[in-house]
Amino acid sequence: MFIDFFHNLRSKGLHVTLGEWLTLQEALDKDLCGSSLTQFYYVARMILVKSETDFDKFDMAFEECFKATQRETEVGAEMLRWLDKSDMMELAHEEARDHLNKMEEVQVDKEDVEEKFRQRLKDQDSEHNGGSYWIGTMGKTSFGNMGGNVGGVRVGGKTGYQSAFAVVGARKYRDFRDDRVLDNRQFQLAFRKLRQFSSRLDIPESELDIDGTVDKTCNNGGCLQIVMKKPRKNAVKLLLLMDSGGTMIPFSHLLNDLFQAVHKSNHYKDVKTYYFHNCIYSKVYKTPECENGDWVDTEWLFRNIDSDYKVIIVGDAAMAPEELYSTTGNYRGPNGGLSGYDWLLQVKRHYKKVVWLNPKMAPGHAPWREAETAVKNLFPMYKLTVDGLNQAMIKLMVNK
Amino acid sequence: MVHACKERQCIEMENQGFQGTQEYVASPELMASVNIAIALKKPLLIKGEPGTGKTMLAEAVAKALNKKLIIWNIKSTTKAQEGLYVYDTIQRLYDGQFGEEGVDDIARYIKLGKLGEAFDSDEQIVLLIDEIDKADLEFPNDLLWELDQMEFYINETKRTVKAKHRPIVIITSNAEKELPDAFLRRCIFHYIDFPSPELMEEIVKVHFPNVEENLLKNAMEVFYNIRNIRDIRKKPSTSELIDWVNALQIGGIPTETIKSALPFIGVVVKKDEDLETVRQSGV
Repeated sequence: MFIDFFHNLRSKGLHVTLGEWLTLQEALDKDLCGSSLTQFYYVARMILVKSETDFDKFDMAFEECFKATQRETEVGAEMLRWLDKSDMMELAHEEARDHLNKMEEVQVDKEDVEEKFRQRLKDQDSEHNGGSYWIGTMGKTSFGNMGGNVGGVRVGGKTGYQSAFAVVGARKYRDFRDDRVLDNRQFQLAFRKLRQFSSRLDIPESELDIDGTVDKTCNNGGCLQIVMKKPRKNAVKLLLLMDSGGTMIPFSHLLNDLFQAVHKSNHYKDVKTYYFHNCIYSKVYKTPECENGDWVDTEWLFRNIDSDYKVIIVGDAAMAPEELYSTTGNYRGPNGGLSGYDWLLQVKRHYKKVVWLNPKMAPGHAPWREAETAVKNLFPMYKLTVDGLNQAMIKLMVNK
Repeated sequence: MVHACKERQCIEMENQGFQGTQEYVASPELMASVNIAIALKKPLLIKGEPGTGKTMLAEAVAKALNKKLIIWNIKSTTKAQEGLYVYDTIQRLYDGQFGEEGVDDIARYIKLGKLGEAFDSDEQIVLLIDEIDKADLEFPNDLLWELDQMEFYINETKRTVKAKHRPIVIITSNAEKELPDAFLRRCIFHYIDFPSPELMEEIVKVHFPNVEENLLKNAMEVFYNIRNIRDIRKKPSTSELIDWVNALQIGGIPTETIKSALPFIGVVVKKDEDLETVRQSGV
């Protein structure tokens, strides 16, 4: 049944599985939807969609498939845009209440209103706000939203639940929508690979030490004596250095995801994040805006963040040759008399484990991308994908 | 609104199961989702803004259907195994030392967890797994089989615990972590929308049946205005409104001053920056 609907959902990017689809069939079989389209809408949504971010896609697919059954007149996208005036809300507030008080007694004939509404939809060709005839905001007719009329047809604007098409038309879940390609969860899972257990941390003793218990019990003449020990915890410390130069702007979503994933992975002993602009020089910045003065010395970093931190550098390694090799070519912040390349060498010398993640790495050898090739020779470089991240994590864990 | 009321009635009429309780006002979609989860024998996953009554739903369902409620509160350290059973080895070791009776009976030292308890019960139980997203990333995956088949195996005693009556499982999530797809596929999902003013009025009245109309009207108006301020950080939710109405009642504040003076506004708005924003916007 409704197999077109199934395909339509999948083409809208909803990963409905056969199992879920069969569950829906079971629900239909058990007559859980009655014969109401609205009921079917909710039942189908709660079985097939598992995140409010996908409600909008579902609404669109539903509308496409079942539009023919819609009894009401269709409201064009153009008209909804005219009516999208939520910022007028506060302004309209006082006025609307006055109207409400006055018109409380007015009886409204629903049939009549609907008939007029359909007629006017047909005729209207421009935006109207505050009038008394056309569909618009803050007006006195029975149509539109934020108006003073009590018993009318609400078009767009704020809406409650109600019938399926009222919901679909309002597209109230549009704000939840996120079309991120990479799943944050996959990133988090990759970061879990970065584990190194140690029991020399400052935490309570909450685990049974079997060897210790046997030993103590033997010494105690066979009378049981329990020994507890500290559980083993992850001792990995992470230093994240992120490029926030202009060429990285297209990847800001991806970087944001990566950043979120690192901070959600709360199993690290410590995570430090600093930013740089195109290449690392004598200062690294505390915020992604890279404002002058809001920085720490890179040498301070070396002194205070010791060499057993694992370092992940994220950047596109697309410096101009003079940005990398010249001691005067750097245009953001001081460089302490060393070229960018020399600073990168210092990073390599100080930290035992460094990987470079590049969101737009060229495949294979790319001699025309001089800076990238040079950086590749310094640090192991991986493309910023789930796969690349996995490889980088393994690289950070293994011995040289 | 004429249309809406009709819809609502028709949904209510079709469902003979859960219909909310005296203390809990559920939207028709929420009621439908509970009943469908029961009919299809699948766990019901509830998401929504904090304070929209996710946890209270389970209590209301248990009460409405007259069943016992078992709550399994998930913390960041909770392991899936703890929900099934725990084998108290240390107690057994100690007992063995002193030749206590029944030490050779391992079953004595198997303590069923919340999930195990729900399976093993002689009557049908409502099981609430609260804030599943607090736990470890792998936690939901570890429960797939158990929630699907409603059974698990105790290695030590070679016993299979199988649910005598399939419990009604309600799971809540604050969306702090994303849940694995394999887990989501097995659930019925419902997102609790923020209540519309009409529903909100109903909810407040359930808590305070004798609330003065004017007080409620003014408080709700201020409340929804605050929620509409664009740069507010933490939007106040249902539970905050209920607390506020309560405070206003107890404080005996004259209704005319609610809008101008914003008494006890700290109950509704919890962040310093937000208080500042509210005062500036002059709701």
